[in-house]
Amino acid sequence: MRERFLIGFDPFVLPFLLGMAFVLTYCIIGLIRVVLQLSKADRRKLAASLFKPANAWKNLRDMFCDCLIHVKLWKRNPKLGYMHSSIAFGWFMLIVFGHIETFIFVPKKAGLFYYPIFFRYFMEMENYSLRGSFFFFIMDFFLLIVLSGILLAMFKRIRSRFFGMRRTTRLSITDRIGLYSLWAIFPLRWIAEGFTAGIAGGSFMTIPINLLLKNFMSNPENITVAWWLYSIALGTFMFALPFSRYMHIPAEILLIPMKNAGLKVYHPRKGFALAQIYTCPSCGVCIDACPMSASRQNLKDTTVYLVRQIKRNNARRMNAMTEKCLMCGKCQEVCQIALQSYDIRMKIRERATYNVGLKYDYLDSYKPEIGKAKVLYYAGCMSSLTPNTGRSIKKLLSAARISWTQMDEGGGVCCGRPLILAGRRQEAAAMIEKNTSIIESSGAQILLVSCAICYRVFKEEYKLKGIRVMHYTEYFNELMEEGRLKVNRGALRYAYHDPCDLGRGCGIYEEPREALSRVGIIAPAEKERALSVCCGGSVGSLTLDHEDRIPITQASVQNMLFSNPDRIVTACPLCMKTFSRYSPVKVVDFAEALCDGLEK
Amino acid sequence: MAKENVVVIGGGPCGIEVARNLRDLGYTPILLEQQSELGGHLRLWDRLFPEGVEARKVLKELTGDLKGVKWFTDVNIESIEKSRKGYTVNVDTGMSFQTKALVVTTGFKLFPAENKQEYGYNIYERVITNADLEQYFHTRKDPRIQNPKTIGFVHCVGSRDEKACNRQCSKVCCATAVKQASEIKELFPDAIVYCFYMDLRLFGRSYEDMYLTAQRKYGVRFIRGRVSEVSEDIDGKLFVKAEDTLLGKPMKMKLDLLVLMTGILPGDSTKQLSEMLKIQTGEDGFFTPRDTILEPCMAKDGGLFMAGTCTGPKTIPETLSEARAAAIQVHKYLSK
Repeated sequence: MRERFLIGFDPFVLPFLLGMAFVLTYCIIGLIRVVLQLSKADRRKLAASLFKPANAWKNLRDMFCDCLIHVKLWKRNPKLGYMHSSIAFGWFMLIVFGHIETFIFVPKKAGLFYYPIFFRYFMEMENYSLRGSFFFFIMDFFLLIVLSGILLAMFKRIRSRFFGMRRTTRLSITDRIGLYSLWAIFPLRWIAEGFTAGIAGGSFMTIPINLLLKNFMSNPENITVAWWLYSIALGTFMFALPFSRYMHIPAEILLIPMKNAGLKVYHPRKGFALAQIYTCPSCGVCIDACPMSASRQNLKDTTVYLVRQIKRNNARRMNAMTEKCLMCGKCQEVCQIALQSYDIRMKIRERATYNVGLKYDYLDSYKPEIGKAKVLYYAGCMSSLTPNTGRSIKKLLSAARISWTQMDEGGGVCCGRPLILAGRRQEAAAMIEKNTSIIESSGAQILLVSCAICYRVFKEEYKLKGIRVMHYTEYFNELMEEGRLKVNRGALRYAYHDPCDLGRGCGIYEEPREALSRVGIIAPAEKERALSVCCGGSVGSLTLDHEDRIPITQASVQNMLFSNPDRIVTACPLCMKTFSRYSPVKVVDFAEALCDGLEK
Repeated sequence: MAKENVVVIGGGPCGIEVARNLRDLGYTPILLEQQSELGGHLRLWDRLFPEGVEARKVLKELTGDLKGVKWFTDVNIESIEKSRKGYTVNVDTGMSFQTKALVVTTGFKLFPAENKQEYGYNIYERVITNADLEQYFHTRKDPRIQNPKTIGFVHCVGSRDEKACNRQCSKVCCATAVKQASEIKELFPDAIVYCFYMDLRLFGRSYEDMYLTAQRKYGVRFIRGRVSEVSEDIDGKLFVKAEDTLLGKPMKMKLDLLVLMTGILPGDSTKQLSEMLKIQTGEDGFFTPRDTILEPCMAKDGGLFMAGTCTGPKTIPETLSEARAAAIQVHKYLSK
């Protein structure tokens, strides 16, 4: 191997070089901006975690697994996993081996940015060596891998269903420029290297091209044209990158340490959130996952498009999309980069201004009389609309001989979650404070909650000293495990629906299933646990009207009917009411289902 | 010449009247009824508004003269085949009937009150429906009705309620509620009777008089506002929360009996037949006729006729008039 040109430069490298310089400048400025936006405490946290060996190792591992190999995507969808990792990992290896080659054969040129990229143009082969052939092979091999990924990517644009995606993202103009230039890069590289394969050598990919088009290829006039095109494609991609979804490539490298440092979103488009926004690759997995995708007109309000509007700082659309969201958290569950869309949306909601002020000073005069007991039951507002739930709970409590009392018999103070979901934290604080004082002065040891919505706010926002907050699914399962609540097993098949706030919100998946399996047979739903589908009744959405919710509920009911259950069971009064309007089978509350197992 | 068969599906008042008229016009009507007796919902009612005519008397009148009508009870439709010649109706007893004209009179069903769990039907002891009350008027036996002192009627249970999947007005329940409120007051003169309504739709002739009598003679208290929730205390009394929207005040009261005025939904067989015969239905599930004003008894398909409450809520006299109209239409179609 030896150099063909003494100066080691040709004007065709300029598009690439300029593009590269642009991207690097952009990313460095962006990095400084994001880090400066962090609070002092967060910055310190981030710095500390970078130097902690365990964390540093985790960062490296995550970068390798997430950025290059796309392990999570492989697990969810192998076809998509192959497509993404072949391009990312293949390209990465091309860059790595390009540098190794440069380093071995022309160490003095290793400092030039463009040299490893256009190595084959600047080099000439004198004689075959094993070492040289190894590199020829490796480079062609990874080129093939990347090209296969590109081919799949093209096919995905035509038939996304082949990859198990019903819908993919509608790309913006810059996304398209990025996409088409990315598609162009590797075929052009192949052709360019094919041109020089007669001079610089090559392997199974480039040599055949060279031989096949011998006359055309060996014309030196055409050689520079091919390399110009390759460089222009690279340059175009680099210039489009910061304004397109391909910004996720550099942004994820920043996001991973931030995530591992345990930072929290504090502003919808600053600091940690900004890093997340730029890491969104617009893959569109969240579109199919979103319960609102049951009707077409809502597709444009899914998370991937929200991210785009946040990038553009379109306040009107950001607010509208955020207010429409059911806040079920499913997009976050399926997201490859685990974009914290729930937190980002909450921050958008909290920044919204309202014309109407709310006053809750009358709460001071509210002094309920509550009996003394070990278990304090908080039924919540929805329970007055589903009296069967309350009845069944009382039946179960007395069957287990528990000393209990109800906190909100005949009316009580709201748990505060609807206000929090509307972004009105300050107003909710009044309720949280009032309820806290009622609960703490009651002398109870356990706060029993039968509504998943209330349960989440009790868990997340209340600080109750010395009191265990338990959802009734946890509590009754525990009573059964301890043998205090005895039930008989029947033959009914129950399909259990994971309420959003209980499952994805609080991570409770097993207790209700364990308890239900003691009274009957569990009939699995098509999508369940973390992937369960919102019932459509969620109080999370502020603007979705009844008509829009109907298709969501119908789709969710269909999901529950997957294995022909006798009953749909849910552990949230709102899901129950919503389902029972459209379900062909009986919908019962978790406590009602357990009562099936009590001796009559 | 042998008399021509005409199949009528549904043996309620409408089906019976269609069949009787077709017979009078010289056909052999074949009347198919799912239940074990003819009469439909009329069998379950005690008296009819506005004059309080006994439902049984009307039914006796209708079923008393069925000579020349072939009627079958306890039959379910298995399938219906459509051909150029007309329809072949196959039923589960193994029989099948050929007919050139098919009349569908499958009627309605009452909204299942259990679906509005907040009102506590089948959960609380003293919550009943309008149908239960009619039954009580007839039999005077119901363990839930024990000399009530305070009684509430809830209008629009499962009607005009999108969350109950029924946006439409059921039309007849307002008048029924006024009638039942007066009747129960007659039975229990000391009781205080409340009606919780959102709008009172007393559209028919002399219905307004019925309403005024209920207020003046029986002292029924009409409260404009919906009941939001119902709960039960230890001795079985009902706690009702509602809003008086005219006073703009929330109200709470204790009641001994709560009557839910369940609305009208398309009957199960209406749904079944709409699938079987591909009859167009509205969003509310009732059949859509070819022309709602000019041809309310005809479906889009030639030879298919419909009448009664399968095309929307109706009173008994309206149903009977439509039945006669349908019979005439069938006759015109067959003698073409």
